[in-house]
Amino acid sequence: MALRIGVDIGGTFTDLTVVDDGGRTLLVWKEDTTHGRYAEAIRTGLGAIAAELGRSLRELLEDVGVFVHGSTIATNMLIERNGPQVGLVATEGFRDVLYFRDAFKADRYNIHLRRPAPVVDRHLRVGVRERVLRDGTVETALDEGSVRAAGATLLAAGVEAVAVSLLWAHVNPAHERRVRTLLAEQLPAVPILLSSDVLPEHGEWVRTSATALSAYVYPATATYLRELERWLAEQGLRSDLLVMQINGGCANVEQCLKVPVALTHSGPAAAPVAARHTARRVAQALAREVITIDMGGTSFDVTLMQRGRVPLARGLEIDHQPIGVPGVDLHSIGSGGGSLAWVDSGGALRVGPDSAGSTPGPAAYGNGGVHPTVTDANLVLGYLPEALLGGRKALSRTLSEEALARDVAEPLGLSVTQAAFGVLRVVEEDMAGAMRAVSVERGIDPRAFLLVAGGGAGPLHAARLARHLEMRQVLLPAEAGGLSSFGMTVTDVRHDYSFALHTKTGAFLREQVEAGYAELVERARADLLASGLDPDATRFERSVDARYEGQVHTLMTAVPDTDLEERALATLRSSFDAAHAARFSYDMRDRPVEFLQWRMSAITPRRTDVRETFDDLPTADAEPARRGFRSAIFDLGDGAVETPVFDAAALAAGTIVAGPAILDSETSTIIVPPGDSLRADGNRNFLLTVG
Amino acid sequence: MNSNDPIEFSIFLSRMRNVVDEMSVTLSRAAMTPIIALAHDFSCCIYDVQARQVAVHDALPIQTSSMDLLIEETATAFGADIAPGDVMLCNDPYRGNTHVGDLVVLAPVFVDGRQLFWSCARAHQLDIGAPLPTTTTPWAANVWQEGLAVPPLKIYAAGRRRDDVLDLYLRNLRWRDLLEGDLMAQLGAVWTGSRRLEQLAADLGAERMLEHVERAIAYGRRRTASEIAAMPDGRYEAEGWMDADGAGRVNVTVKAAVEIDGDVVRVDFAGTDGQSASGFNGSRAVVEAAGRIPLLMAIDPDIPHNQGCLDAVTVAAERGSLAQASYPASTGGATTWPGDVLQDVVWRALVQAVPERVRAGTARWNNAPELYGAGGEEAEPWGLVLLNGGGGGGAAAGTDGWPLITSPAAEGGLKVASVEETELLHPLVFVEWEVEPDSMGAGEWSGGPGIRLTFRPTDDAIDLFNPSDGLDNPPHGVLGGSAGAQGGSYVTEPDGTRTFYASVYMTKLLPSQQWTSLSSGGGGYGDPLRRDAAQVAADVRDGLVTRARAEALHGVVLTAGGALDAAATSARRAALAAARPDGWDAVVPACAATETWADRTAAPEDRVVRDGATVETLLA
Repeated sequence: MALRIGVDIGGTFTDLTVVDDGGRTLLVWKEDTTHGRYAEAIRTGLGAIAAELGRSLRELLEDVGVFVHGSTIATNMLIERNGPQVGLVATEGFRDVLYFRDAFKADRYNIHLRRPAPVVDRHLRVGVRERVLRDGTVETALDEGSVRAAGATLLAAGVEAVAVSLLWAHVNPAHERRVRTLLAEQLPAVPILLSSDVLPEHGEWVRTSATALSAYVYPATATYLRELERWLAEQGLRSDLLVMQINGGCANVEQCLKVPVALTHSGPAAAPVAARHTARRVAQALAREVITIDMGGTSFDVTLMQRGRVPLARGLEIDHQPIGVPGVDLHSIGSGGGSLAWVDSGGALRVGPDSAGSTPGPAAYGNGGVHPTVTDANLVLGYLPEALLGGRKALSRTLSEEALARDVAEPLGLSVTQAAFGVLRVVEEDMAGAMRAVSVERGIDPRAFLLVAGGGAGPLHAARLARHLEMRQVLLPAEAGGLSSFGMTVTDVRHDYSFALHTKTGAFLREQVEAGYAELVERARADLLASGLDPDATRFERSVDARYEGQVHTLMTAVPDTDLEERALATLRSSFDAAHAARFSYDMRDRPVEFLQWRMSAITPRRTDVRETFDDLPTADAEPARRGFRSAIFDLGDGAVETPVFDAAALAAGTIVAGPAILDSETSTIIVPPGDSLRADGNRNFLLTVG
Repeated sequence: MNSNDPIEFSIFLSRMRNVVDEMSVTLSRAAMTPIIALAHDFSCCIYDVQARQVAVHDALPIQTSSMDLLIEETATAFGADIAPGDVMLCNDPYRGNTHVGDLVVLAPVFVDGRQLFWSCARAHQLDIGAPLPTTTTPWAANVWQEGLAVPPLKIYAAGRRRDDVLDLYLRNLRWRDLLEGDLMAQLGAVWTGSRRLEQLAADLGAERMLEHVERAIAYGRRRTASEIAAMPDGRYEAEGWMDADGAGRVNVTVKAAVEIDGDVVRVDFAGTDGQSASGFNGSRAVVEAAGRIPLLMAIDPDIPHNQGCLDAVTVAAERGSLAQASYPASTGGATTWPGDVLQDVVWRALVQAVPERVRAGTARWNNAPELYGAGGEEAEPWGLVLLNGGGGGGAAAGTDGWPLITSPAAEGGLKVASVEETELLHPLVFVEWEVEPDSMGAGEWSGGPGIRLTFRPTDDAIDLFNPSDGLDNPPHGVLGGSAGAQGGSYVTEPDGTRTFYASVYMTKLLPSQQWTSLSSGGGGYGDPLRRDAAQVAADVRDGLVTRARAEALHGVVLTAGGALDAAATSARRAALAAARPDGWDAVVPACAATETWADRTAAPEDRVVRDGATVETLLA
């Protein structure tokens, strides 16, 4: 049981990563994603990996102790809206909450903006007569006749899944459970998901949305995961198939299917986990305060980690629909290698938000894309090689120049080089803005943080972005090109739980809170045992959504890991005050703090025992790894300079490369600007020092 | 590189956008009251020392399109006495503000000892110390009855907090703790803006930054001018009607003439009825914003709304009219009721000029009442603006209208709290919250729906203030589209009898009663016979449109099972098209209301109250 495998299905590639039990990468493999038949690329890729490692597929899988999979199936289904018909059962009189949303129209001045459509059509949103009040008391008993009528409607429509979301069901789930029992008689083959199971939290819009989205993705996701699980077992896998979740942890198939919406965006959520892991492994002293960036073809994701913790955010959406569950706090903007550069009607240069994506792709691909992208600018400046992916994807510098000349240089009266430079300055300003948004704008000084750069395009821009924020150190991990699939191999197993209980300081319902937590711990232990995990090797982290009385927004605040007697409550309160002051510039220490949603995560950590370090490395010569020169431009005044190009994989441990220099690898290109220097650890990890 | 560097200019624009965005996030996340934190009833912007808007976070249109007036007033008031570390307040509608309910916090931004900018945050307050617990009281007969007026006033002088001044201000408010929190949040936003501007000045140099400001304003002007130049020159006139002014007048007439002349637009509200003896009057800041906003929405939304853009539209109004009242008339309700109908009439005029760029009428503020009570666990007084029942938005080419747009003043910028959040914090229970069938204006593109909302108090009586407009004179349909449906509200007694109310009223709601409102739908856009027949069938299937209406207005015939009958639909559409008169009004309704929803809906045993309660009855 020595190996771990991570498989990340992305829009373009299916990445497979094999690591040894200590978390050291053995192999990174890319297959073209087989849309609609996702498992095919996994089967092909696993076969190829086995061959690379000189084994049969069975020999490979029998040796796998951890197999983690992240898939875009749920995400794609919600974005493309090609899922099944699902039904929604709501409290009578409230079936339009998915349509009403929170009423907010993001762009007030765009009269042509279309409204995001709910995933359940109105005729399949049916009311049942019942009413529970805020304290859980039943005002109107459930009218079972109305449930049968709803069931008949949904049966006639042939729905493939049903979401049940009744008012205040998170406080008293009895009606929802009774509805499930009754509907199961009428719709025996149809999965029924309850809001009190999926997201037992205040706020019917978000809770209903999470439940409806879950119902929407459930049938296809369940079928796919169970088939994959069965096939892997047949081929020799002895461990559970684990599935990556949006919270940055993984869990087995049955656990994940309890909250299917948590499977969305799971690939990107793994990237910060990977960055943290690598930072801990190779640069432990720097790994506590980290900003990670992940830049691909269409987006740029930033996460800030303090004290080594991957932060979670609430309020995440997919295709404008709230998912409710907390997920890794990725600040994402539409800046990527494929972002289009254009000049607006007032003569200002803009980059994005439109993207050329992978089809037609940048002009340089010659696939019909005629507009310039960030990748084209990188090529024109000499940063990128003539071909990507180890020669598999040829790039045409001429096409890039033509596109930049026509769309940017001529309208602005600039040279093509100036235009390319301008494109990078504008897009990097946007990316630096995103990095400031998670740091400076939240009252956190990023200058002493380590920047970890991943994604195909991240290492191209990382050094200059670090300079923008006055950061000194940049780690470019070996797995930069496949951060997500690598992240899956090192992610912890994670189960999230919560209960809703409204209480406040001054009138704190200690016994109820403690009883609530006791029940969560009991559920967590049962789930852990069912997943073959050791509860005693599991860490329980607690937090609560808190706010000053009268306030609207909440801050997730850590709950002390003790009984919640007076002193613990005082600790909780003062950490809320401190967080509020740091984030919002003031606190109100005399005002009661109210608590809404109590959370607990059960985290079973993955072993990480490879310790490599950039300290105590021998000195080595870079020259043997040099593969020639490229003419690259780092400063418009200086013009093009002959810049040494190195094979990243060939740089020996301890090599120091002074900028300007370029490092090419199979999946990414690293730019070392003039004045910066970079050290290799011999395992294709690089630590760049700015200035 | 020189100051003409187009790349650096692009970066400057992006940085300025980030500054106002960050100010807005700071304000909304840190604020205490739902009106700011949830409903986003605030706006953050940066002005230069010539009182020109340099950057704005587009929050609520009515707040962001004329703040130059207040900046000028403040600069004039303090003259040379403006120092680093100062922070000012102002809410006075006769000193450049919108209405007394909006409080502006602003700070001068200094670089190297010279003031370059103003960092500003305008936010609607939960209370402003009026005799009645409402910030937009229609029942104020003059400025002394609408709340505490704050002329330009320093709360920080050269970095020192003036506690006595703050105490004076807060002492006059209900819920001073909450409002102090909101004020802190506004301060936080303003200081955030100041810090970011100082950094940017350090990065670019003050002179370079000022050059970019000039370029940014020229850029806004240039982009706006090219859009207006493409509109056909001419003078376009229209009129509309406000249901009631709360002081006895009904169907108050508002007139606008929109003159497109090359690359500028002049809007004139001359001919509008005289000012009201209530708080339903426009202020200078409101009429200026209301005249501009429809034009800002008719051009590319990507154009930044800086002074270069705003100045393309100039606005005139007669003093002493409903559009711009004379001192000491109250303008307490300016941003919503007068502001909404003023905007509406400009939209009506624009239909003649740029039919492809307009939207149909949007619900003006109605059935989004202010509620006040003392109840719940600790019998503390509480207040709430209940936004769940607001009306629908107008349709536009290619887009059906949105629900809950609530008011042109906000145009969808107000977030609505969930039923559970409201029930958790306030002593009321929702009974029903759903779309009203057939309430949307019909058209090729359909208006947003009206909403039926019912709630009841749980323990104690609730004071309910429901000044509304657009219930009797509903949002207009354009180019063949029909108007949104009328609406209204009523109180139901335990025995089932109902009391229907007029558009503007207040009442005390008892725990034995429940309150039901039906908001107006948005207007339709274009010929209803051209609406995609499959979409009409889906609307019928979804219970949004009745079969009868599908046949009568859209000419869509369905089979008994609800499927589209294509042959019968073609025949029906041809017959309807043949039967209708040549040409139609570009805008409907073309005259003031003669009948109300209550007239048609109330049963013989129901009561109909034509006249809203007066201040005297409530205070009694």
